[in-house]
Amino acid sequence: MSALPAVIEARGLTKDYGRGRGVFDVTFAVARGEAVGFLGANGAGKTVTMRALMGFIRPGAGSVSIEGRRCFADRARIQETLGYLPGELALPEDMTAKRYLAFVARMRGADEAQLRRMRALADFFELDVRTRIGRMSKGTKQKVGIVAAFAHAPRVLLLDEPTSGLDLLMQQRFVELVRAEKRRGATILLSSHLLGEVERTCDRALFVRGGRLVSEEPAASLTLEETLAHLYGAGNVGRSWDAPGAACASGDASAPAPDAPDAPGAACASRRASASASDTFDAPGDVRTSGEGRAS
Amino acid sequence: MSATLIGRLLRANAPATGAFFVVIAFYAVMVAYLFDPSLAESLDAMMAAMPELFAAFGMATAATTLTDFLLNYLQGLILTLLPLVLIIMMVSVTVVRPAERGSMAGLLALPTSRVRLAVSFAAAIVLLLAALLVLTTVTEVACSEALFPGELDVAGLVRANAGLFGLWLFMAGAVFASACAFAPSGAALGVGGGACLAFYLMQMAAGVGEGLALLGDLTPFALYDAYGLVAGEAAAVVGALALAAAGAALFAAGVAAFARRDLSV
Repeated sequence: MSALPAVIEARGLTKDYGRGRGVFDVTFAVARGEAVGFLGANGAGKTVTMRALMGFIRPGAGSVSIEGRRCFADRARIQETLGYLPGELALPEDMTAKRYLAFVARMRGADEAQLRRMRALADFFELDVRTRIGRMSKGTKQKVGIVAAFAHAPRVLLLDEPTSGLDLLMQQRFVELVRAEKRRGATILLSSHLLGEVERTCDRALFVRGGRLVSEEPAASLTLEETLAHLYGAGNVGRSWDAPGAACASGDASAPAPDAPDAPGAACASRRASASASDTFDAPGDVRTSGEGRAS
Repeated sequence: MSATLIGRLLRANAPATGAFFVVIAFYAVMVAYLFDPSLAESLDAMMAAMPELFAAFGMATAATTLTDFLLNYLQGLILTLLPLVLIIMMVSVTVVRPAERGSMAGLLALPTSRVRLAVSFAAAIVLLLAALLVLTTVTEVACSEALFPGELDVAGLVRANAGLFGLWLFMAGAVFASACAFAPSGAALGVGGGACLAFYLMQMAAGVGEGLALLGDLTPFALYDAYGLVAGEAAAVVGALALAAAGAALFAAGVAAFARRDLSV
């Protein structure tokens, strides 16, 4: 954790939804100008943490603050300098992108510079703003959300699975945008379950599993195997599909192959043993492998 | 209050309000067109023969004037139940659906306090109801004057409709408060809307039988007395003001609930 003063801070954040759902005693801090990845499997507690930071929900215990302000009580003030991209983006379907973005700009009291930036962002993401949001694909809606979140040049960015639905080119452009924002001095918390996305944009990564923070690593040193172990627990990594009653490939499992080892099925076992974790984890939209994707 | 947000909500809810106005206007024109003093007498005879049936739909008064005729056949049913349905739809579009589908996150990500957001929601609903009432009143007056010049007690009708706005405010406040306080959409709309419907049914039941008259006194809807307002009775004015005040209090409770509740969007 950085020694710089924290801009985004969670202290013992707990929100218990019962049956093990929620977040429990989560403590972390993000310093000014830092980009931190928040990695977790589906249902690990990333979105709950984001909602608490956004002031949508009150912590059951502990506290969350942004730039020293309490997230629930001071939400409106915090939002003046915060950009947020929700994990499950829902926009008013009856509006065109142009009308929606104009609405957001008016609600924010945007000046001419911010409107120019909004137009530049729409161009950068090749967004046709004349289309009605209800007729847009998921990826195009995501672009609208990105433009709305970044248009006012926020000091703090909370991005919850931000590249969801974007095609490869737009994912790359998003990475470029986040890097540029970081150079501008923005403080970024990026929630994701995509290793490559975090590697390419963040300084370090926080791992959350079962609602608890389990590890923290420099983003540049992340390996796929370690990441999988952090995300899913060491015991859950490396499992491969073994259809009940089937041999490892096709054919009769009881008929030994000419070069079969002594025990029936041992060929399957040996093949399983040689399978690496990367064989079973297919990160959607993850362009690079972990080695290629290291932050430079 | 945010004028930008109110404008956005007015646009989002205007088509439904317009559609309801068309239906209400159709009924208003029909009822005015059907007015005929001799027909009114025969309707009165029918009413005398089946008082419970007419009373169940709020048509309890012998209507010999055009004003009473309009009140009798519009106020009790069309101008109570249709606005209630419209209110439920507007509250759904404004509060419940955005909270359920997640588009509320876009509003909460703006530098606007929850109180300001909720007051804007309420203002948009009240403005649209006010517009509906004004358009309805203008339609009633215009077609009455066109068909039976000078027959309508315009001031009396305006007083009755102004009082009706108190009833609409009460219904809107109840539905809005429950939408702000309860999370699942069924409960959010069901508690407020269901309570209003129950009040309406209680009033219907009270009109049907002597033994059930007490039910009518238990419902807040009894505070609305259209004929008393036409006659300028102080008690009717107080009743309408009490409904409006209760509506305002329910809206305030809704705003307070919205400002406090968790919104998992």
